[in-house]
Amino acid sequence: MRDHHLTCQEIVELVTDYLEYALDSETAAQFEEHINFCDGCAAYLGQMRAAIETVGSVEPEDVPQETLDGLLVAFREWKRT
Amino acid sequence: MTSEPIDDQRAIALLRAGDEQAFEALVARHYATMMAVARTYVKSRAVAEEVVQEAWLGVLQSLDRFEGRSSLKTWIIAIVINKAKTRAVREGRSVPFTALGPDEPAVDPSRFRRRGEIYAGHWRTPPSAAPDVVAQDRETLWVAMRAIADLPPAQQTVMRMRDLEGSSADEVCSTLEISAANQRVLLHRARSRVRAALEVHLSA
Repeated sequence: MRDHHLTCQEIVELVTDYLEYALDSETAAQFEEHINFCDGCAAYLGQMRAAIETVGSVEPEDVPQETLDGLLVAFREWKRT
Repeated sequence: MTSEPIDDQRAIALLRAGDEQAFEALVARHYATMMAVARTYVKSRAVAEEVVQEAWLGVLQSLDRFEGRSSLKTWIIAIVINKAKTRAVREGRSVPFTALGPDEPAVDPSRFRRRGEIYAGHWRTPPSAAPDVVAQDRETLWVAMRAIADLPPAQQTVMRMRDLEGSSADEVCSTLEISAANQRVLLHRARSRVRAALEVHLSA
């Protein structure tokens, strides 16, 4: 379809579609070709994968005590009815 | 308090039996995502808190009607959306989830060679290679947590569901009633921002 090489600036915008298998096969092939020859973009893709892995290890934030207390009161109330 | 994931039917049985620890665990597991969902519809954090509280009351009151056709999580989020929409209408506000907001570049444009320069659009300041083993130290995780918390609510919702909770793209789309394309745009922006925040921690 498009007959031009992807720039690095375009690659960083396609990374998610690439990881989600949402690129058409031609663009996916261009993407991979670029990654094979471009250290910067290969590093970028590696960092993106690493960032996703790190996010997967983040624990859910603590619930504010006030909120939790309020909800527990509601829960006890609900239990009684 | 247990942090082990308990399956939906078991969680519901425990709630029905009045198990407070099970309730607390469920609240803890879903609180941040519920807040992010609520904040896509209502303006302030305080109102979002109220929406989340209302949603939990709704969850408890209609627990008997949960049929397990969707996951408990999907069902809870649907109740939050419902309460948040009602609240948004009352506030005279209606911000559909599909409003993506202005485009934002994944990477600071100054890191690329400018138009007219030789190799325009290619890296001027490339990132360094990621380490083979991803750092999971407290500081890195803390930076990631902060970066997620700072995301706009719609991006945060999608990232939490996809990358923290492991929901599928389809599940996120149907729960939030957004298109596959919009789901990817929100995920892309979220991941791009979080990668940028973590960049120094992700360099080998």
